[in-house]
Amino acid sequence: MSLLEINNIEKSFDNLQVLKDISLSVDQTEVISILGPSGSGKSTLLRCMAMLETIDGGDMSYCGEKAVTSVSGSPVYASKAQIKKIRGYFGLVFQNFNLFPHYSVIKNITDAPIHVQRRPKSEVYEEAYILLKKMGLEDKENYYPYQLSGGQQQRVAIARALSMKPKMLFFDEPTSALDPELTAEILKVLRSLADEKMTMIIVTHEIDFARSVSDRVIFMDGGIIVEEGSPKEVIDNPQNERTKAFLKKMSVNS
Amino acid sequence: MNLKKISLLRITVILFITYALTTGFTFYCAADDNKTFTVGFDAEFPPYGYKDESGEYVGFDLDLAEEVCERKGWILKKQPIDWNSKDMELKTGAIDCIWNGFTMNGREDKYTWTTPYVDNSQVVIVKKDSGIEDLSGLAGKTVAVQSDSSALAALTGDDATEENKNLAASFKELQQVGDYNSAFLNLESGAIDAICMDIGVANYEIKSRGNLFVMLDKHISSEEYGIGFLLGNTELRDEVQETLWEMLGDGTFLRIAEKWGLESSVCLSAEDSYIDNTSMENSQSLIERFLSISKQLMGGLGASLAIFFLTLLFSMPLGLLITAGRMSKLTPLRWIVKIYISILRGTPLMLQLLVVFFGPYFIFGINTPASYRFYAVIIGFTLNYAAYFAEIYRSGIQAVPKGQYEAADILGYSRKQRFFKIIFPQMVKNIIPSVTNEVITLVKDTSLAFAISYTEMFTLAKQVAAAETTIMPLFIAGIFYYIFNFVVAFVMEYIEKKLNYFR
Ligand SMILES: Nc1ncnc2c1ncn2[C@@H]1O[C@H](COP(=O)(O)OP(=O)(O)O)[C@@H](O)[C@H]1O
Ligand SMILES: [Mg+2]
Repeated sequence: MSLLEINNIEKSFDNLQVLKDISLSVDQTEVISILGPSGSGKSTLLRCMAMLETIDGGDMSYCGEKAVTSVSGSPVYASKAQIKKIRGYFGLVFQNFNLFPHYSVIKNITDAPIHVQRRPKSEVYEEAYILLKKMGLEDKENYYPYQLSGGQQQRVAIARALSMKPKMLFFDEPTSALDPELTAEILKVLRSLADEKMTMIIVTHEIDFARSVSDRVIFMDGGIIVEEGSPKEVIDNPQNERTKAFLKKMSVNS
Repeated sequence: MNLKKISLLRITVILFITYALTTGFTFYCAADDNKTFTVGFDAEFPPYGYKDESGEYVGFDLDLAEEVCERKGWILKKQPIDWNSKDMELKTGAIDCIWNGFTMNGREDKYTWTTPYVDNSQVVIVKKDSGIEDLSGLAGKTVAVQSDSSALAALTGDDATEENKNLAASFKELQQVGDYNSAFLNLESGAIDAICMDIGVANYEIKSRGNLFVMLDKHISSEEYGIGFLLGNTELRDEVQETLWEMLGDGTFLRIAEKWGLESSVCLSAEDSYIDNTSMENSQSLIERFLSISKQLMGGLGASLAIFFLTLLFSMPLGLLITAGRMSKLTPLRWIVKIYISILRGTPLMLQLLVVFFGPYFIFGINTPASYRFYAVIIGFTLNYAAYFAEIYRSGIQAVPKGQYEAADILGYSRKQRFFKIIFPQMVKNIIPSVTNEVITLVKDTSLAFAISYTEMFTLAKQVAAAETTIMPLFIAGIFYYIFNFVVAFVMEYIEKKLNYFR
């Protein structure tokens, strides 16, 4: 069974069609990288899958449960309770972290498990300390976000997402707001998550990272999936001209 | 710089300005011939001085003043004044006298007066052989007054003395009559036992009815009108007084009185002598006066504090509700709230207070209890400030980045949790500077309660200023407001610092 299956997703903003007929199926433990030029619809796709945006067409299901069904061409979202349940299956890490500035590091990580999932405090804190340690932030639990570097903030954001025990994690350019050395920090964390068999969809511009960590690479342009396959196929041996041009540009830039 | 030092410096400067102004204002312009003679009057007091249909200032007192000026070769200037500022007007020399049905009783020591020229006392008339000798004899009797008359006001009006209220309560009945003719017929027939009325009218009626009736010695209220000059300005007073006597002698005075239907009320007499108050100078030292005035103002400070704290207590949460409506997804609700905010912010608070206070009666015909005055102040202030707070909250909410909502949604927070746990605390931090402004404005706005005659500190300061003929109370009130706001600013700064734990 696939963790996530979306079919024929359409999304427009006003008159601009941003996603055109996107279909994707993600298996458990799979790590998928999404590449593509700016404005190609990568974030929009991720946000649709995370249900921060509503889709205009297509269907989506998570762990075999229908979130959106297509009824005679138009999408119908499941009941509120069902959506709430499905929201628990995934986490999203933002480009600019979006930590809660008025909460300390530990509160950022523990608040939702305690007050949303209503799990026992002691258990939540215990796990939070393990997560902090894993992120190399064990001495920062009482810091506030503004007192941390970008890389540290992003690691807190990842810990916050993990504290909800999601079945899969979405990352939207998690390193784009960071300096190169801080980028390395985050990529290391992502790599270790991949080693632990976390299911992940990562929008990124780090080609080398995508090549080494991904099971599958998707190249998007103009709101469609242009090319899809193993890193070897898509990155090392692209078939489509647009993919070739993009990768060439990226290698010149880096 | 040290905060304490600044505050001390500021207070010292204000004290100095207060001293300079209170002493510096105590001067007057010496009168000389062919000068302008400026008469201060309340333009809403017919028939003594008022604005007629054509917009002219007219009245008995203004006619008298006109005649005096003509005889003295002065140019008359009619200066309508705010009654509460009459003493300042006089002290600064902006007006030469107060000539406006100006009651002498109780103010004998505060002005240099002419002799009384109108007697407006309220007296009691009984039948000659009725056996009623004094006011206590009226107990259990039927007493008549003209409806809507001064006598009725003196017995049962808002400003009636306790004594008179008790007196009225002792009557068997207080009957209101339409005209005095029928009242006297009833009195003669024994259907009623007494009539309360103006002394001027009473004298006239007794005389014209052949002395069938007598007036009780004790008046229920005594009120004489004189012309008030700045204390000590006997020179100008004498000139006016002598001219008045001249006018009395040649009949002009009575002719003018008849023109205004006051012939039975006037009492100007060449035999009257001046009130001797030349020795009445204020013997208290500045510090003593400062302290005594401060003490009086303390009473009003309580009322101002009550308005302040109750308004904050109610308007801050109400503002949040209004914000919710303003940002609601329901378009009609959003529009209603938008209109509400627009009206409350677009019209004077003073007007809103009047509407809240008088609205129940004039719109719905509901008689409100006396305590409603205070509630009206709180309701008016709360409604107004809630509108302002609502807009401040809204801007504070809108300043929270969209990413915060998204992060909360991804983590599964409910809408309520999202608002109260994530958005609200950040909003509070965002709005502290605007709220500080608003709260400081509220401190000063409490003085607007005067619009519906609720006595808070500033109203009291004006009253004390009027009673003691000095503007010192206003400056002391200013100091109080400043200190009040200083504390407010201090508290808000403290809160702001407390919220600095995040950014
Ligand atoms: N909320 C929005 N309203 C209108 N247009 C949007 C919105 N979000 C994204 N877009 C547009 O959709 C297109 C795709 O954006 P995005 O998904 O962010 O691309 P990418 O992440 O690949 O750079 C862009 O043209 C962008 O301007
Ligand atoms: Mg993007």
